[in-house]
Amino acid sequence: MSSTVTTERPSNVSEALARGRLGVPSVVFFVLSAAAPLTVVAGVVTTGYGVIGVLGIPLAFLAVAAVLALFSAGYVAMARRMANAGAFYAYVSRGLGRPAGVGTAWVALLAYNALQVGLYGTIGAAATPVLDRLFGIAPQWWVVALVAWALVGVLGLLRVDINGMVLAGLLCAEIAIIVVFDLGQLSNPAAGGASFAAFSPDNFFVPGVGAVLVLAILGFVGFEASVVFSEESKDPKRTVPMATYLSVAIIAVIYALSSWSMTVAVGPDRIVEEAGTQSVELIFNLAGAHLGDTVLTIGQALFLTSVLAAMISFHNTTARYAFALGRERVLPAVFGRTSPTTGAPRAASLAQSALGLAVILLYAVNGWDPVLQLFFWLGTSGGFGVLLLIATTAVAIIVYFARSGEQETLWRRLIAPGIAAVALIAIIVLAVQNFANLLGVAPDSPLRWLFPAAYPVAAALGALWGLVLRRSRPDTYARIGLGAESAAAVVVPPATEPVPPTAGARR
Amino acid sequence: MLIADEFFLIAHNDIRGKAKLHPAATGLGLASGLLGELILYGHITVTNGQVHVIDRRPPGDALAHTVLDQLVGEAQHQAVRTWLSFLAQTSATSVGERLARAGVLRRQETRRLLRTSVSYVPIDPNVAAWPATRLRAVLERVDPPSVPDALLLGLVAAAGLTREVLWSAGPRAHHRLNLIIPALPAPLKELVAHTEAAVGAAVLRGIP
Repeated sequence: MSSTVTTERPSNVSEALARGRLGVPSVVFFVLSAAAPLTVVAGVVTTGYGVIGVLGIPLAFLAVAAVLALFSAGYVAMARRMANAGAFYAYVSRGLGRPAGVGTAWVALLAYNALQVGLYGTIGAAATPVLDRLFGIAPQWWVVALVAWALVGVLGLLRVDINGMVLAGLLCAEIAIIVVFDLGQLSNPAAGGASFAAFSPDNFFVPGVGAVLVLAILGFVGFEASVVFSEESKDPKRTVPMATYLSVAIIAVIYALSSWSMTVAVGPDRIVEEAGTQSVELIFNLAGAHLGDTVLTIGQALFLTSVLAAMISFHNTTARYAFALGRERVLPAVFGRTSPTTGAPRAASLAQSALGLAVILLYAVNGWDPVLQLFFWLGTSGGFGVLLLIATTAVAIIVYFARSGEQETLWRRLIAPGIAAVALIAIIVLAVQNFANLLGVAPDSPLRWLFPAAYPVAAALGALWGLVLRRSRPDTYARIGLGAESAAAVVVPPATEPVPPTAGARR
Repeated sequence: MLIADEFFLIAHNDIRGKAKLHPAATGLGLASGLLGELILYGHITVTNGQVHVIDRRPPGDALAHTVLDQLVGEAQHQAVRTWLSFLAQTSATSVGERLARAGVLRRQETRRLLRTSVSYVPIDPNVAAWPATRLRAVLERVDPPSVPDALLLGLVAAAGLTREVLWSAGPRAHHRLNLIIPALPAPLKELVAHTEAAVGAAVLRGIP
């Protein structure tokens, strides 16, 4: 007890807390498994070629990777200074004000829900070959979707974040099978030999480039989750930035390579047509022809698990977003409660499941196409929403560093996020112009405005709600953007102010 | 009974000792209870998110003594959140052992799938059920609760156990609970708030 000399001896506290800390590989694995590479390569890329009809998808992945790497420089720098680092709206609240933050949160809820629900559209296509092989049955897509929905809902409530080792194993298998598919495609080029046409800028800067760029953004969704581990990582200043850049780079290489090798195997002139007719099956038909039945079966099974893992991951992301907002009391407080035994954000999880069920039933009753109209439309619209979130966050990062005067290099606080912001805004402009291409509808279809317009409406309503909170519930307003930390922030006000008399008067 | 002990009993089933609360929240709630005991006995205080030792004389309880020693010995760490995370790693075991020494619980080792898990089973269910029963009664009464009871209520709410304790209570009890926590003495109010934030952060991280 009397050992008052505190010299350089090892600290039990530091050691004990350091034991569970994550290194770069753990964070990268986490990010990549949420990105679900096989879902993107087999589902998004093939449908993208068919619907948008632009050859430049591989180049778009590389271009978006460069923009996101620039964005990440400022993003990870600001994340270290944030209470609720995993959510874009927290950055916007700090940088551009709390009403803008609530607007961003509404947009985020819409976008992540669209991404999650959209996946129910592709699970039928993913499960059909597997079910056919195993049981010789071919159920309706919505039967499969409902089974998947029940699974996701139950796992969400039990808070079974699938075991990290299982996820890592699945991820490695997915990447391995993608590489095998790519090699098969590259060693069986279409007539005329391997063509690099897909990397040619001439095939990129065409009408529809905005649509392809949104598609590429969609492929990268999940990279933003790395900063959640700021406090969990061995060295926040190094681990999280390294993991973020590495994840973006790995995703970019895999996607660019795979989308290019598809054009090599099918032929750049025929890929759009073939992808249009074969849709999700394209990559598996190629694999079946090049590599034989065993590899094909493994690939189909992994596609199914990949879509399932992506669903669970997006379900949990969405539920946690609502949970953080419930803790702030921006959403009703019930969203901020958890199931005691599992610690799952129960109300938030149930609400997400309810939305999923409603959408599946809507599509099933109306007989709408699950892959194009559910998976691709909601997926790309969600990707567009995430694009808006990233662009707004880039601006918020610049404003935050300019206002707060925090010590940071010029590159991280201004130049990198500045270039990223300009590029992202340019992509948004192109995307809005090309939204009909993105959805594959006629240029005068009302849908081309309906989908992108949902976001500004949500943002405006959110900002309005933020202003209402400022007037009617100032203590809630003060919590905006702090997520789970908001509980502590209200008790410890940053500035000393007289205690309001309400607490005493009520008793 | 000490705060952390009562929290332990509330967070576990009163007959078979099964956990009613997920491990992250249990650990943090118990850690907070251990710090709360030291605050109540005037050994430490909490201001602006920092723990300060104000009385180094050894407390009577052995576990409280150990915790105070750690606080004194590692003065470079002062953040409440650091101490909550640190103590949360061992609090379930240390408080369980303290209750076993006091003769309230019986340590039970079960071997399942090559893994030995330790649980603590109540010796007398009435003793184990008492803290929750008392808290319900406290909320039914009009006069304000004692400070330790108010702190315990605060920790129960922060850990997300309110509904488990108040399952049979009416809306008046819930309303009263919402008034009791803001009326806590400042260091305890801060401790409760940091506990709630830490529990929420654990949920957001998604790692149990």
